[in-house]
Amino acid sequence: MTMGQPPTVLTAAEAWQTLPVHEWNEAAARHLLQRIGFSAQPAELARVLKDGPVRSVERYFAKMPALPKPRMITNLEKHGPELFRRISAGSAEEKRMAQQEARERSREALFDLTIKWLTLASRPECSPAEKWLLFLSDVWVVGVDKVKNSALIYQHHDILRHFALSDAVSLAKAVSRSPAMVVYLDLQQSKPEAPNENFARELFELFTLGEGNYTENDIKQAARAFTGYRQRQGEFAFLPRQHDSGSKTLFGQTGRFTGDDVIRLVFKQKAAGTFLPKEMVRFYLSEEPLPAAYTDALGAWWAGEKYDLHKLAVKFFSSRLFFSPACRGGYIKSPLHFYLGLVQDLGLSVAPLPRQLIGNLRSMGQMPFDPPNVRGWVGGRSWINSATLASRRQLIQALLSPLNEEALNGDEQIELAAAYADGIRNFTLDQAQLTRWARLAPAERARELIQRHVPALAGTEIERQVVTFLERSAQHSRAETATRAALATLLESPSYQLC
Amino acid sequence: MNNPHPILPSTRREFLHYGVKGVGLLAFSRFAPGFLVESAYAQAPAPEKDRTILVLVQLAGGNDGLNTVVPFADPHYRRLRPNLGLGSDQLLRINDTLAFHGACAALHELLKDGKLGIVQNVGYPNPNRSHFRSTEIWETGSDSNEFLPTGWLGRYFDNACSGTPRRGDPCGVNLGNEMPQSFLSEQQHPTFSLPAGRNRRQQSENLALLEQLVQTPAGHPDHDNAGYLRHTMMDALVTEKKFQKVLANYQTKAAYPGTPFAGSLRNVAALIAAGTATRVYYVSLGGFDTHNNQANAHANLLRQLSEGLAAFQSDLEAKRLDGQVLTMTFSEFGRRPSENESRGTDHGTAAPLFVLGSRVKPGLHGTAPSLDVARNQDLQYSTDFRAVYSTVLDQWLGCKSSAILGQDYRPLGFI
Repeated sequence: MTMGQPPTVLTAAEAWQTLPVHEWNEAAARHLLQRIGFSAQPAELARVLKDGPVRSVERYFAKMPALPKPRMITNLEKHGPELFRRISAGSAEEKRMAQQEARERSREALFDLTIKWLTLASRPECSPAEKWLLFLSDVWVVGVDKVKNSALIYQHHDILRHFALSDAVSLAKAVSRSPAMVVYLDLQQSKPEAPNENFARELFELFTLGEGNYTENDIKQAARAFTGYRQRQGEFAFLPRQHDSGSKTLFGQTGRFTGDDVIRLVFKQKAAGTFLPKEMVRFYLSEEPLPAAYTDALGAWWAGEKYDLHKLAVKFFSSRLFFSPACRGGYIKSPLHFYLGLVQDLGLSVAPLPRQLIGNLRSMGQMPFDPPNVRGWVGGRSWINSATLASRRQLIQALLSPLNEEALNGDEQIELAAAYADGIRNFTLDQAQLTRWARLAPAERARELIQRHVPALAGTEIERQVVTFLERSAQHSRAETATRAALATLLESPSYQLC
Repeated sequence: MNNPHPILPSTRREFLHYGVKGVGLLAFSRFAPGFLVESAYAQAPAPEKDRTILVLVQLAGGNDGLNTVVPFADPHYRRLRPNLGLGSDQLLRINDTLAFHGACAALHELLKDGKLGIVQNVGYPNPNRSHFRSTEIWETGSDSNEFLPTGWLGRYFDNACSGTPRRGDPCGVNLGNEMPQSFLSEQQHPTFSLPAGRNRRQQSENLALLEQLVQTPAGHPDHDNAGYLRHTMMDALVTEKKFQKVLANYQTKAAYPGTPFAGSLRNVAALIAAGTATRVYYVSLGGFDTHNNQANAHANLLRQLSEGLAAFQSDLEAKRLDGQVLTMTFSEFGRRPSENESRGTDHGTAAPLFVLGSRVKPGLHGTAPSLDVARNQDLQYSTDFRAVYSTVLDQWLGCKSSAILGQDYRPLGFI
């Protein structure tokens, strides 16, 4: 089934009603957890099943978890002024050295941020909120390749985090002042005599309204309104003398509009109500858009709720449509979803080894904080080709085998030793767990592996094939080796790539 | 393999066999690997078997060049390496000033036999001493302050592999757990990874199980995405299965050492011997980040490298494939000339690299670094690594290097 047609028999009005109690069951709870987070862990599953969809979503979206500023980001900020001075005032050689140092520090800081964010997102109780943040950052996109300064990237995500559950209007206003955004979409260069249209265009097209809901003239006028927005060493600054305070006409209204006024006008457009819900469908449900009547209905309701993001999340994730059969089971996990799901399913911690981790994520096609362009990640089938599938399989092999510590570089060994000192060592599959599984008879072992990791396959032909594989392997391989192989194969199978 | 009826055909003949047995070409072709369907229809010609092949060997962690090709006659060497400096009993002389580390006996032999070239003092301007960044610079072929989204070999694939008919053989094969950045390309090309080392029996059985799983509809069989995933995965599995068959049946003509590195090279030889259309192989040997108590660890790594490469070369020679293959090593940086306080060495800059093959111009290329450096000062490179790449691209792979590297470099004489 696909979503091109109206899903099952729900009308547009029924689609957004709360799921009736009699349709709530373990499969539905699992669907909820896998889609709003990265996997369904037993403890969360039991609690969600008891609480029902509304209370569960309200709990997960009650408030955003905190992500304390990573140490290397702080370091980067501390050295910022000095590096800035050397870059702007030093000799050519001094300037070059300072630029290189700035890049180095920024890169190290980004690695630190990546590991810290993945670690937070991998905590099952935090996963839904962190996935929501990933969603918002896939709408309000900035990329480190152009922004260059990881401290601004951290700050941008902190802004998203701060407004993630407030209202979309406040969020939009805050993001228009995000120093990373000011750099990323060229507000920094925008002047009254030469307004830069980049931000105004993407604000309408990719952040709030979608194509076809504004004119080229609206963009030109809005660009004038956003003149004077600057960032100075990581702080937002408004320069009145660089701001065009003259009269502008857009969306049929005339006035001496500021940037905030433009955002206010944007959210008077009907398309502002439907845009984010459509993005949610794309990010959480399906590559196929819903028929307009469905998103129109939700958009009208959401506009009436003053674009409250928390209310939108609760409504969307507990709706009949979200749980409808057409929306289940056919979603291709993104590389981050896949990785974090594996970490949770295998009971692991995120390894403090950025070289390996970032290498894996990059070859699967998704580097955190580094989207391909302002459109964000395309998602869906574009994640899958022979090379990215091979990379997914390699990641599994890496997580199931003990770390080869001898092949690590010195700095990595230091990171690892620090983690060990904190008592964290579960960076790859626990070998004792493997041994416990290996003691089970093949039928029991297959059931355990499937129930725990790919419950959708329980009782299927595939379970029987795994039993046969384990029985046959017993003739020549160690039970641990065969068990690891069976688990790897289950995780590599098409079923595990979907949820 | 135990399964007497393989579910997936891995050759054109097996595939056609399915057709006559009534499975039905078209019925099957929904999930059949694209290239098999194509070739079944088109009677595609056999792969070209005489193309040149590049095997890239990464020495990950930063190899200590000064203790690999040792300038033993230079008094500065003793000054910089009071403890780690190698004595004459630990050296194999190349000429009056340079010698191999004693663990490189096999490479020393290859040099004497005229099959090994040493490109001295290779690096780049404004060197970076971060593993991650310097590896990235080497793999993307960028300047020190330039960030490229694609790898140098990926751009080679973009130039050389597009437009060629799909035949199923990947453009590049990596032996290891992480796709090298060198392979990242603008367009999509089939690239492939094989687990490093051996244990082939287990691997082929895992593969058979995965094949069954991919074949068995489960969950949402009708969902388009499930079908798409199965289809793509089958494409990849057919290649892998073909490869596993090749690896399992390979009869070596040389005694490979028991190390995983040598096992990987053996697998490369097997694929080359089977006439695979792949032009680039990538093998990695890690552990070169020798910050403390370097002596034994480094000797051990050099021995693995040296003996693995020698077995590989002799295997290829016995199979008369040696004229087709060029092997080249690289490492993200060399190490600091002055040893540190922990009997190790810290991150440095330039280092020598090796080129191996029957068509290599043997001996020393480029110039040796000056060791007249202050304590903790680094070597100044004399050959840009991209000049090495451009030589390989132009003179070995037959691809215009300026299109890949963005500019022309003066070719080196090692081919």
